Amino acid sequence: MRVPFLITAVIVSAGVLLSLVLPDYHLRLLNLSVVSAIAVIGLNFAFGYAGLISLGHAAFVGMGAYGLAILTTRMGWSPWRAMLVATTATAAFAGLIGLPLLRLKGHYLALATLGLNVSFYIVAANWIDLTGGTNGISRIPELTIAGRAIAGERPFLWFGLAVLAAITIVAFMIHTSRYGRAMIAVRDDETAAAMSGIDVTMTKIAAFVLSAVCAAIAGCLFACHVRFVAPEDFSYAHSITYLAMLIVGGESTIVGAILGAAVLTFLPEWLRFLGSAYLAFFGLMMLAILVFLPSGIAGLGRYLPRLRSPTRAAPASVSAKELGP
Amino acid sequence: MADLSQLLINGLAIGSVYALAAIGFVIVYSATGVVNFAAGQFVMFGTFAGVAMLINARLPWPSGYGAALAAMALFGALFFFVVYLPLRKSPIVTIIVATVAVGITMQNVALLTFGSWPFRLPSPVEGWTVTIAGTVVPAHFVAVIVVTAVMVGLLWLLFYRTPVGIGMRAVAQDIQAARLMGLKVNRLLALSWILAALLAGVAGLMLGPIWFADVNMGDPIALKAFAATIIGGFGSLPGAIVGGMFVGLSEVLGASYVSSAYKDLISFGIMIGFLLVRPQGVFGERIQDRG
Repeated sequence: MRVPFLITAVIVSAGVLLSLVLPDYHLRLLNLSVVSAIAVIGLNFAFGYAGLISLGHAAFVGMGAYGLAILTTRMGWSPWRAMLVATTATAAFAGLIGLPLLRLKGHYLALATLGLNVSFYIVAANWIDLTGGTNGISRIPELTIAGRAIAGERPFLWFGLAVLAAITIVAFMIHTSRYGRAMIAVRDDETAAAMSGIDVTMTKIAAFVLSAVCAAIAGCLFACHVRFVAPEDFSYAHSITYLAMLIVGGESTIVGAILGAAVLTFLPEWLRFLGSAYLAFFGLMMLAILVFLPSGIAGLGRYLPRLRSPTRAAPASVSAKELGP
Repeated sequence: MADLSQLLINGLAIGSVYALAAIGFVIVYSATGVVNFAAGQFVMFGTFAGVAMLINARLPWPSGYGAALAAMALFGALFFFVVYLPLRKSPIVTIIVATVAVGITMQNVALLTFGSWPFRLPSPVEGWTVTIAGTVVPAHFVAVIVVTAVMVGLLWLLFYRTPVGIGMRAVAQDIQAARLMGLKVNRLLALSWILAALLAGVAGLMLGPIWFADVNMGDPIALKAFAATIIGGFGSLPGAIVGGMFVGLSEVLGASYVSSAYKDLISFGIMIGFLLVRPQGVFGERIQDRG
């Protein structure tokens, strides 16, 4: 358990350090990376550990964001209370929809979740009475701590990093617990997992619900940060971006999820010198990463000199695909 | 009544385009196992190949269409070498994300080349109309349906009456066995990609005069093609046709009889319904967890 805490501490202190030196615009990108990282850590439960290909993750982010937006602006709730309810409701929805949906595998599940995301978008864009349609919902209140609003990019970043750190630690704890191992076992071989007494269906649903919880928290943070939600932010293209973040960072690693979220959020910025051609290069660069770095940025860690303590390296890894923390 | 038959023809014409896009998607999927998320961008490239040849190069339509399709065939071969070959052993999700990434590149290359202003691609039968059962419909819609029927007939001949097509089916069925039988597997796989690009090209050329040629047209087409494939049955050619027609009809009829805002929800709702109740679709493959 010491290594995960170390990594979390490194990431948080890097974030805090950056928050003191970067200009506001980059802080905004950093905030968006933190929010995406929380969503991608969630996706890592479903896809990285349990092997469920979800192309509907942005819909769960959207449900969290819209839930908070509707409860705060229409009902006048405090953002904290709204966040709790929106996250719980999203989790319940994920559990309900997961029950029939997760019987599907591979590309069937991918297309079903894609259909879910497209349907969410259509409803969000057209149910004008509830969601404001394509105009979205604006004037979402800020989060407050002890009467002080978390306003501005820098304070929000500190708050976001604290949430990210908490979620990272919980995710590490789940990863090393029997529940995390059960998810990985289900991903690697369902029959063998069922043979050894794992409830495959429950494990899959648990992973899916966990992923939706993280997504909804990310959505609530997004809504409180941008203070405006519109269907465009939760289209299926964003689901694919989350998946791309996870794969670029390093599939089934929590550190990879965070790195991938940061890299893909900043990549367009770094490619800015290409002018209007940057998106064309962005696609090619993604392709190059997938071809030449199949285990993602976190996979590069294997080429580093051995930093890990021998006790962690010794036990047989749960799966050949695992890359460590 | 006249309205209804007009809507039916519209729906079948749009459905034909979706069907062709879905067939290209299915051919690639059955042969290579790749779920091609850039399929919609292939159709968009088809439309813009038409724009380049007919509007920019001012070719007359027979040679313009020929040149556009030749460009699409080349593009299919390029895609095979640049995207498929390097990633053929990667897990399915990596390939999904890779095809999406290439789709982003394709969309933005088109944006850089043609700009964001939509084009109107003319039809060879521009301005002609046909009267069917007392209803006047643009001849282009009827032509689209006829061309699609001819394409499907040609595909059937290719797959069931020519050695090349039978080889392609063999590769789709069992790549190892096909290799052991001495088939040139890579050549046949490349041919599947070329065929898919050609079908997308035809779909794009026919769609140009119906919608405007717009660089953002790829995603909606891809989504409709996916819905068509699931409803018809993943990996099945007749399924792709039936599914495409179904999605086209439900879109046009749903827009006028139910709600134009929610017209797309109908096909996606039915797609999810199929996935939950009958994931193999109307004519689909027997295994559910392939890939």
